[in-house]
Amino acid sequence: MANNKETNSSSRNNMIIAVAGNPNSGKSTLINSIAGAKLSVGNWPGVTVEKNFAEFEFRGQHITLVDLPGTYSLSPYTQEEVITRNYLVHEKPDVIINVVDATNLERNLYFTIQLLELGIPLVIALNMSDETAQKGFFIDIEKMSSTLGCAVIPTVATKAEGVERLMEKAVEFAAGGVDHPYGSIFYGEDIEKAVAVILDEIKNKNNIEFPRWLALKLLEGDQLVAGEFGISTDAPFLAKATRHLKEAHSDDLETLMADARYSLAAGLTREVLKKPAKRKREMTQKIDAVVLNRFLGIPIFLIAMWFMFKLTFDISGPFSDWLDGVVSGPLTRWTNELLIAISAPDWIISLITKGVIAGVGAVFVFLPPIFAIMFFITFLEGSGYMARAAFVMDRMMHAIGLHGKSFIPLLMGFGCNVPAVYATRMLENQRDKILTALLIPLMSCGARLPVYVLFSAAFFSAYAGTVLWSLYILGIVLAVLMGLLFKNTLFRGEAPVFIMELPPYRMPTAKNLIIHTWEKGKHYLIKAGTWILAISVFVWFALNLPWGVESKKDSYLGRAGQVIAPVFEPLGFGTWEAASSLLTGVIAKEIVVSTMGEVYVPGADEEKEETPSIGEDIRQIVFSFGDAFVNAANNIFSTFGIATISVEEDEGTIGLKSVLVKNYTPLSAYAFMVFVLLYFPCFIVLIAMRHEFGTWKWAGVTIAYQTVLAWIVAFVIYQGGRLLGL
Amino acid sequence: MTLADLKPGQSGKILKVNVTGALKRRLMDMGIIGGTEVRVEKVAPLGDPIEVSIKSYALSLRVGEAKSIEVEAE
Repeated sequence: MANNKETNSSSRNNMIIAVAGNPNSGKSTLINSIAGAKLSVGNWPGVTVEKNFAEFEFRGQHITLVDLPGTYSLSPYTQEEVITRNYLVHEKPDVIINVVDATNLERNLYFTIQLLELGIPLVIALNMSDETAQKGFFIDIEKMSSTLGCAVIPTVATKAEGVERLMEKAVEFAAGGVDHPYGSIFYGEDIEKAVAVILDEIKNKNNIEFPRWLALKLLEGDQLVAGEFGISTDAPFLAKATRHLKEAHSDDLETLMADARYSLAAGLTREVLKKPAKRKREMTQKIDAVVLNRFLGIPIFLIAMWFMFKLTFDISGPFSDWLDGVVSGPLTRWTNELLIAISAPDWIISLITKGVIAGVGAVFVFLPPIFAIMFFITFLEGSGYMARAAFVMDRMMHAIGLHGKSFIPLLMGFGCNVPAVYATRMLENQRDKILTALLIPLMSCGARLPVYVLFSAAFFSAYAGTVLWSLYILGIVLAVLMGLLFKNTLFRGEAPVFIMELPPYRMPTAKNLIIHTWEKGKHYLIKAGTWILAISVFVWFALNLPWGVESKKDSYLGRAGQVIAPVFEPLGFGTWEAASSLLTGVIAKEIVVSTMGEVYVPGADEEKEETPSIGEDIRQIVFSFGDAFVNAANNIFSTFGIATISVEEDEGTIGLKSVLVKNYTPLSAYAFMVFVLLYFPCFIVLIAMRHEFGTWKWAGVTIAYQTVLAWIVAFVIYQGGRLLGL
Repeated sequence: MTLADLKPGQSGKILKVNVTGALKRRLMDMGIIGGTEVRVEKVAPLGDPIEVSIKSYALSLRVGEAKSIEVEAE
């Protein structure tokens, strides 16, 4: 490590502390209690794995704290593990804090042992030491520390106990160069001999900061690391070095190393951990006996999901409405008046109020459900139930190429596709995340309901409910079929495995919940918000240019509608009105209804409202915010009652309905609804996909497959219906 | 016999893991290593995956993977 100190002369000014540990070790809670509100959430470059970090002062020392992804090992096979080891090897943190779950010592130490191979100063946070005390475990900290050659500090992350001492020790280790010797982990004579031969061979190579680590990786036959240093895993010197090992033990040195590490971890655990002879049945097992029960498991899961869904959208709904009301009401009005006062031209007023401010509105409307969904997901993850949900649902979801957890984002899609796409981040595997996100838009979101309501009321009033349900079910059926299709085409052959820990149930701390929820919402605001604004302005241009046209038919939108209308001819609605309304659905699906109002019944919308004074406006904003709270609270209570999809009719659409009846047949109306269900999602969903996956590729795939799918299904329905004489 | 043959409540000792590459390493990293005690705790409501306890924690894996883990019943 001496070379690290020399090359990294800036370490005096800024100390880098990397925090590593197994998933469910309480790592993120510990980081929250160290860094608290200073924590920022981002992504590791180029991947969907979340990166948490914080910068702060600790006793006059500037510190950058980096939260490495939770991993069980440093193998080359998963994204998280590669990120972790690349960070450690290339960024060379001054010290590693290794969070170890004291209740699960052996498996956690298996990871610690691998970290120690690097020779970076290491401090163990022996976390959840309160739980071990409760269980009657005794851990000999002195012995653990001296055997491993690193500091061991007992912590209770949920109560911030031991955190101060942990930080002191980490800073001391990083600054003082309390280097522990490489030899502190001894893998037995045969392995060490082979390592010595490899070390001898690579010692003349430049830029090798972690020779022992490299030697061990070469011995394991780690292609990724070997390639990075320009060494072939088939190099003769490696064959020579490992010949004896292979003869005496096995050909598979990766297994031999895993064995060696686990026997060390097991040996150490035996030496330092004293368990009571009799183990009582733990709370987790009692809960699981019910929650994972053969007959109760699925009903309990479905009830839990139903509550989560209702609470997410019922609580966030009133706040979304309030934000929407403030932005589209008073804020738009004030800006409007201000712009008139400085005699801005009409088109500027329109651009700012209908483009920019409407865009701001669009950004904010999605904030409450994103907060709500992130809150519940953090809760499910922190409590340990998420793993159970995956366990219960995996058989069903696996059949269509998904992971057990995929059910949750898909379900949330029925409320709103945008937070649902964000919810895919709870899946570990990139493939699972993307495949789930691709299917989410087939879940009919709340914004499509106004279209269904309008058409089913106009054409199918007697059995509107049945028509509505048929659309939801059609979406689900197509999601299953598309899942199977994607599984066997785009995502063929890389089915990820399901090897998952079922962590003990724990109560998530309020601090953890709040910080995570807040950070994810903030991340959305900054990253997605910019895009949403930009596209909103672009859409304004499309809708309103060329400026001053009398009829919507002559706007760019109307002209585009005229151009593409023939495409919809075989579906039964090949008119420019229908085509332009569908185009505006990219803003949000419910806009289809208001566009139809404008194109089918021009001028109907132009009633003047009385303009309230600014004082009244402010009073109204405050009162309606209060109302939002009351409504959200009411909704929570009514969640526990019975709720149905309410098919409320908008009074403003009566005129529109009578026009629609003249323009559509029941068959073409149904084909239109199916098209609205299936065609490309609103641009905010596309931005969410871009934001989550770091590329427009998957948003593009979504647009393409959905539009084709929508056309084919609507075609089959319309032409099939005609053949049947409907 | 394999881990998939054990009934809930039955324990066994792992003999061999008959897979290679990433899957093998992942199983090993989770503690599925020759000589280790393993006990089947539960089967999911739909018959797959299963829950086992190993190295004093709870692990779930699919029956497909469990079939590649040779065990000796106790």
